[in-house]
Amino acid sequence: MTDVNIIIEDLAVSGGDKVAKQVTFKGQLDETNVDEKSKIIYALIEQNPKNLNLLLDFEGLEYMNSKSIGYLTDWFSKISEGGGKIVIAKARPNIMDILEVVGLTQLINTFPTLDEAKLALLS
Amino acid sequence: MDQNIKSTDAPVQGQEQNKIEKKSNPLEITIILPTQAYFLSGIRDFTLKLIKNMTDFSEQWAYRFQSIVDELCNNAIEHGSREGETIKIHFQNKPHDYIQIVIEDSGTGAHPLKAGEIEKLVQDRKSQSVLNGLLRGRGLPKIVAEWSDELEFSDIQEGGIRVRVRKYLNDPKLKAQLPTGLENPAHIVLN
Repeated sequence: MTDVNIIIEDLAVSGGDKVAKQVTFKGQLDETNVDEKSKIIYALIEQNPKNLNLLLDFEGLEYMNSKSIGYLTDWFSKISEGGGKIVIAKARPNIMDILEVVGLTQLINTFPTLDEAKLALLS
Repeated sequence: MDQNIKSTDAPVQGQEQNKIEKKSNPLEITIILPTQAYFLSGIRDFTLKLIKNMTDFSEQWAYRFQSIVDELCNNAIEHGSREGETIKIHFQNKPHDYIQIVIEDSGTGAHPLKAGEIEKLVQDRKSQSVLNGLLRGRGLPKIVAEWSDELEFSDIQEGGIRVRVRKYLNDPKLKAQLPTGLENPAHIVLN
């Protein structure tokens, strides 16, 4: 199985019932690991069906295949349905390129820095 | 994993074993791969280095071809060849002209499709929204088709599908992205 690490951390939010998490990816998402690793995000969505706000830190993500893009669109749909938001930060040029070619950047906002992504997510 | 590196030029005297001199004739590399996704990270690394070091395409295109090869191999493994069989990947670089990649499966997979069926699927899915509710189905129409100039599916007489993709270097969009210093490199290294 190709290596990929996913770390989830809480982000501070001020008041309300909003939940915010930073999810940091390191490694490659491909056919050998994406089904298994996506369960981590689905568990997060299941625990927080309403107002979940996810910041996906892609700085360490080296590769993603089309199936992982399929999962990303599914997370976007489920989180949006629950009134939450999903943003991407610090994606490498090759990751941005693939997100753009499939049209995902029209749905999910991407930011060059974590601070900008946090601001957009929590505003 | 079997690799076959073939150059139509005669070997250069004194050439180091792990270096291949770039020539004007096409360079061809064939890889026979067991039908297991486990091997694909190695193929991705190989593709990236091959395009970066041996062709006139930019780094951006090296990453794009990495995705193209990965998506085509995934399809071949998922649909075309059953476990225990193989898939064949053939790279051809014609300097200053194009790179071509051909991937063949054995047609023994659980859900083998005919070339015409795949072509129709690709056409149908090209116009679909990114939010189509499907986990799969973006690889060929949204990635491979978008990033190649020619995409051709054909049935192999003995069984299986042959997919051929070709990208030309003389695309005006590419010229602006050409890397500097790669016009006539003395050597390339694959490691």
